[in-house]
This record gives sequence, C-alpha cells and structure tokens, in this order.
Amino acid sequence: MPHVHVTDRSGEESAIDIRPGTTLMQAITDAGIADLLALCGGQCSCATCHVYIQDDALAELSPMEQDEDDLLACSSYRKANSRLACQLRLRDDHDGLRASIAPEDL
Amino acid sequence: MTAQTFKERDYFTDPTVLLDPYGYFEEMRPRGPVCQLETHDCLLISGFEECVEVLRNPADFSSLNSLASSAFPLPFKPEGSDISEQIEAHRDKYVGGDLVVTFDDAHHTNVRSLMSRMFTPSRLKANEVFMRDYAGELVRAAVAGGGCELVNQIATPYVTMVVADLLGVPAEDRTRFEEKIAAGQTVGSIENPDAPTDMSAVEFMGAYFYGYLEERMANPGTDLLSELATLPYPDGTKPDILELVGLAVFMFAAGQDTSAKLLGNSMRYIVDVPGLQQQLRDDRTLIPWLLEEVLRLEGSSKATHRIARRDTKIGDRPVPAGTQVIVALAAANRDPRRWGDDANEFKLKRPGIKQHIAFGRGSHTCAGAPLARAEVTAILNQFFDQTSDIRISAEKHGKPGARHYKFEPSFIIRGLENLYLELTP
Repeated sequence: MPHVHVTDRSGEESAIDIRPGTTLMQAITDAGIADLLALCGGQCSCATCHVYIQDDALAELSPMEQDEDDLLACSSYRKANSRLACQLRLRDDHDGLRASIAPEDL
Repeated sequence: MTAQTFKERDYFTDPTVLLDPYGYFEEMRPRGPVCQLETHDCLLISGFEECVEVLRNPADFSSLNSLASSAFPLPFKPEGSDISEQIEAHRDKYVGGDLVVTFDDAHHTNVRSLMSRMFTPSRLKANEVFMRDYAGELVRAAVAGGGCELVNQIATPYVTMVVADLLGVPAEDRTRFEEKIAAGQTVGSIENPDAPTDMSAVEFMGAYFYGYLEERMANPGTDLLSELATLPYPDGTKPDILELVGLAVFMFAAGQDTSAKLLGNSMRYIVDVPGLQQQLRDDRTLIPWLLEEVLRLEGSSKATHRIARRDTKIGDRPVPAGTQVIVALAAANRDPRRWGDDANEFKLKRPGIKQHIAFGRGSHTCAGAPLARAEVTAILNQFFDQTSDIRISAEKHGKPGARHYKFEPSFIIRGLENLYLELTP
C-alpha cells in the first residue's frame, strides 16, 4: 500500500498508509500521532496541523489558498515548505511523501 | 460519603444532574477516568486524556450512537471481536443514523470533505457584515426596551438568521424553520426518556432543502447551498441529492441550540464574574479568551457517545466490542489532572485553553465551531457597543451569589432556558 512518512516532534518517523481521499491531517491523527493537535478538525481555522513538507514534494500538492496562507502567516515557525495538513488530500501517487510536524505555536 | 457508599444518580434522567452536571461528574471522578455505570450498561469517560483518546480513535469507536446516546442497549447481540458490520446493518435503528454526526469511515470522510469548505475564515468574513448588522438591530431594540430575555428573544433568532444567511435560505422560509425548531423537543430530552431525540423539525426542513438544492443544481449561484450542490467528493464522484439534503439540514439545525446556549452561558459569566464585564469593555481582544474559557467550563454539549466496534483499550483498560461509552466532554474540560486544582474556576487566558474539547476532537470535531465563535463574538461586541452596563435580572434570577437558573432539560445540551437581562444605554 502507498504510504507517507511522518516525523513527529521527538524525531520519530512513522510510515502511514495512504487511504485516498483522506487528508494528511486525518492520516496522521488516525495513526495515533498525538503531536498533531488538529483542533478545528479540518476546517482550515486553527493552524494546529502545521507540517513541513519535503521540498521536492511541494509541487505535487494542491496549491495553497488564501485562508491557509493567512493562518500560516500567524505561526512563529512558518517556513517556505510549511503547509496545513488538513488542506492536503492524499492520492496514491503521494507514495513516499515525507512530512514533519512543526513546533507548537503557543 | 465515599465512592463506594453513595447511590449513583442516573445521568440520563435525574433532574439534579441536569441542574449541576459538574457535581455529578465530580462525584463519579473518584471511580476513575473510565468507569462502568451502575444505572446503565455503559462506560462513563470523565478523564481528559481518555476522552481525547476515544475521540481520536474512529477505527475502534463508531459514532453511530452519538445522538441516540449510550442509554439504550444495542439493538443486536454483539458477536466476535469486530462488530463493524453488525453496527452498519443496524444503522436504521438509530436516531440520526442518516446524519453525518453518526457516520463512520469512508462515508464520513466523503461527507465531511464537503463540510470542510463551509465555515472557513473567508466564508465567515463575508458573512460578518450581516452578523454585525442583524446583531446590532436586535440589541438596539432590547436596549430601547430596557432589557430582554436573551436566550429566546435574541440568541435563537440571531443564530437562525445567521446560518440561514450563510447557507442562502430564502428569507420567507426562515421564520417557518425558526418556529418549527422552537416548537420541537430539545435533543436528548430527560423529559421523554423513551424517545429523547425527536427528528420532526429536521424532516420538516428536509423537504424545503430538497427544493433549494434542486434549484441550485440547475442554476448555481454563489451561496453555500450552491457550493454544496456542485461540489464533488474527494474521489471525483457526485453526492446523491438526498445525502446533501441531510447534510444541509443538519448544518442548519445543529448549530441552533448550541450556539444560542453559548451566548447565554457567556453572558452569565460576563455579568456574574466580578470585574469581568469592565475588563472586556476595556479590551475587546479578550472576548475570544472569554469564549474559550466559557466553552471549557460551560460548553453547550455535555457529552457525546461512541460504541466500541472492535475489542480495544482506553488507556490500559480493555474494552470489548459492543461497549457503549459516554464521552463526557464537560467532565474532561474540568479534569484536574489536565487543568489543575483550579479546574472549576473561571480564569481568563488559562494556559493551553484552546485544547479544551467543548467542540470534540478528531474527525467529528464540530464543523460549526468557527461559526459559533464568530457569531457570538459579533453579538457580544454589539452588547458592549450599545450599553454601558449589563445586569442579570435579580427579580427573575435572584441576587449575585444566590442566582437561580433553569437549564434546558437535556442530557446532551448544557444551556440556560432563559436569561433575563437589564440593559443600561
């Protein structure tokens, strides 16, 4: 089964199966990785599912919309490869994608 | 009195639990964060970590009983270590079994994907002018009259009109829905234990929403219903119109009582916590902090429910397939292990406050939470703009420190039946 690799805040990496149609946020929370709070449940409203995407995979993802951009702008930890995991819907061809969970904004 | 000697009160029907659910949860807490009830064959989960664990484990816990509750036995005999198929086969036996709040797995993921675009910040921003103007109108009339009954006179029509405007429900139908909703029984009524949740208002509105969606499919506009009528599922397939009717009605109805109660609960704290009203008047940026602390202490939903569909665990405790659990959001939000010894006290800017679970957690987190926050903030601002002092009527509710309130007779909803205010311009 295709999978994504997710690194939590302690540096531990997990391989998570891709169920097409789910978001990266769902995949990470369903895998039991507690670091990703995802407080709003995927409404693009809270920025607590902030992840960094490996650079060469960024272009494969759906483009960022204004709401996501605005929320990420409030994070102290935004980088060029920042995305909100709730806005990334997974497909089989995302097999091998690597993401790491960004530090928590206070 | 020790944990072993007191007689357990019935969470689902006891009027004293209704009046003070928090006292009941404190009474139960010594039995552990997950405990078996004596009154019903289900587990009560009062621990914060344990509630989050269950809410974030949709693979092992079905949401089918989330509206029907854990008060009733399963309509089948669970067989084996995985009863997922048995649960699905009995979906039609459950109140709300055709609503997104009870869906599991891919069906839930698909329908939820449609909802995830409904209450985004930009959508709510576009609706802000309506919220402000309509709230302004309602508050102005109340101030001119010297006061109001907040919950029914202001909060309920306000939240109905806001969500109607957002969805694009025609003005002439809005009052019809409002009347139907107001006439219906509360969800999870303790006064009707055999049928605590009545779906007649949802069914009544369904016929109207079918018409709206059919019309939007033929002539899409820019409102939310048009978006709903035209959006595909993530796999590219199109939802059935009946699925969309169920979703649209649910979005319309689900936020009514809960958002209206949030305004009532917030106002009670604003007036009754000494100094808080002035503090908020002086610094409106504190309103979001107020709301989060009120949501933690007095969220509008006391509990949701799940069924273990596989043999699983909560913490170290084995939980066999077929076990029903009460996920006591209101208890978790006052769990001293998570919030400290002052968990029952109101504290503005409490550290980690945004992690409360008043709106749930995980894949079923309340989709309308951003709307609830935005609409209650908008109307509170109007109250502060148009008054110099807000008081709770001592005649109706007693003096500060000795207030008496009536609460919605529901084992799901936590909110005031009414709140009489006196308003000074």
